[in-house]
Amino acid sequence: MVQLASGTSVSERLQTAKPALSWVTTAARLVLAGVLIVAGAMKIGAPALSVQAVRAYQLLPDGLATAFGYGLPVLEIILGLLLVVGLLTRPVAAVGGVLMAMFIVGIASAWARGLRIDCGCFGGDGSLAAGQDPNYFWELLRDIGLFACAAWTVIRPPGRLALDSALGLTGPPEAGEEDAPSEGLHEARSEAPSEARSEARSAARSEGASGSPSGGEDVRR
Amino acid sequence: MSKRTSEAARARIAAQREALRKQEQRKRMTTIIAVVVIAVVAVAIGWWSMRQGESEKVTGGLAPVTIQEDGSVVMAKPGVTAPVVDVYEDYQCPACKQLEETSGSTLKNLAAEGKAKVVYHMITIFSDEPAHSNSLRAANAARCVTDGSQYMKFHDLLYQRQPSETETGFSPDDLVKWGKEAGVTAPDFETCVRQQRNVSAHEQYTSTIMSSLKLSGTPTVMLNGQSLDTGTAFVPSALRDAVVKASSKG
Repeated sequence: MVQLASGTSVSERLQTAKPALSWVTTAARLVLAGVLIVAGAMKIGAPALSVQAVRAYQLLPDGLATAFGYGLPVLEIILGLLLVVGLLTRPVAAVGGVLMAMFIVGIASAWARGLRIDCGCFGGDGSLAAGQDPNYFWELLRDIGLFACAAWTVIRPPGRLALDSALGLTGPPEAGEEDAPSEGLHEARSEAPSEARSEARSAARSEGASGSPSGGEDVRR
Repeated sequence: MSKRTSEAARARIAAQREALRKQEQRKRMTTIIAVVVIAVVAVAIGWWSMRQGESEKVTGGLAPVTIQEDGSVVMAKPGVTAPVVDVYEDYQCPACKQLEETSGSTLKNLAAEGKAKVVYHMITIFSDEPAHSNSLRAANAARCVTDGSQYMKFHDLLYQRQPSETETGFSPDDLVKWGKEAGVTAPDFETCVRQQRNVSAHEQYTSTIMSSLKLSGTPTVMLNGQSLDTGTAFVPSALRDAVVKASSKG
């Protein structure tokens, strides 16, 4: 949390200085979007299967698994489309990142519990075909990569070719066009180290006070 | 001079502030509109998806059910021999339960409408315990039922009460009790269940099926010998379309 938040404010100021990096965001957006759309499209036609794939993880109670099975493909497609056009990029990428984190936890837990299932990521009912072995390692690696795409997009939204920019939805407007760039850079230079320091401090605090609820809350705030 | 400058500066700041406010307002409106549009699209896609998963209701009675010599079970109106829908299931397999919940009623209706001959083949695909023994006990008990309509009731009840793959379930006591619930009248039902009389016949049938058909798993639904993909078998409307199309062709 803290890392993302502080990384964000620094990067926003640097954005104007490094335009090439905003193409990286575009690429990250499109990779994540492509996978989400394909995954959602392959599941949405047969929601009963999608529900079954969720149940195969044996993590959620029945009612929740049903809701998740029906809702997930819709969510994936919507998130994917929004990422392609770059609308509401940051919150959408954040939701995508949370989704990937959930998949990572789910697959890792299935692996740890010794279940023999297919991740059901791109359709199917979560069962392995006869003679097929689980593919947890590659599934995890893929989702970690996608999580990284989401995280990058959250840190540096919205990238090139984004509706957010076209609609003027990006960042706070720069006050005083003329001297903004130099000021921004100056600020970034002076603030980045101090923020890094405060981050380190809060991390240390949370480590020291692990178990104390007040310490945890402090970091979150 | 300094006064004029500060006045100009103040005016500039005021203008900037006003522009900023306008921009913020526009931003908020755009965001709200975008969110509303997204919500509408999401509801539309979700609605369509729900329709895809919707199950039929069993409207009338069932077509006559007959238990074959080999333990397979035929559900068809008299004289209806095609198209044949073969259903390969394991009582312990969760995806089979899902198939029954989703498309079971469609198969029953199609048979009752005389549009298909539905054949259930119960097999055991699990090799790990306790799922393997669970499956054997359930399949054995089902084979103890001698009347067709009682069989279907028992079959449906077993799926409704399917235990987890990782727990011992389908205990003989439960199976006997559920048999009574399903109205099973076979006089030696209880002893048949407890002595597991049909296990070897069931195992034999399973190996015959597995060696002749090379099933990739259960459930497998075949239409005239052709395996249907899960996107058809698990989508009631698609399953109905496929069967009706096959029946009009034959």
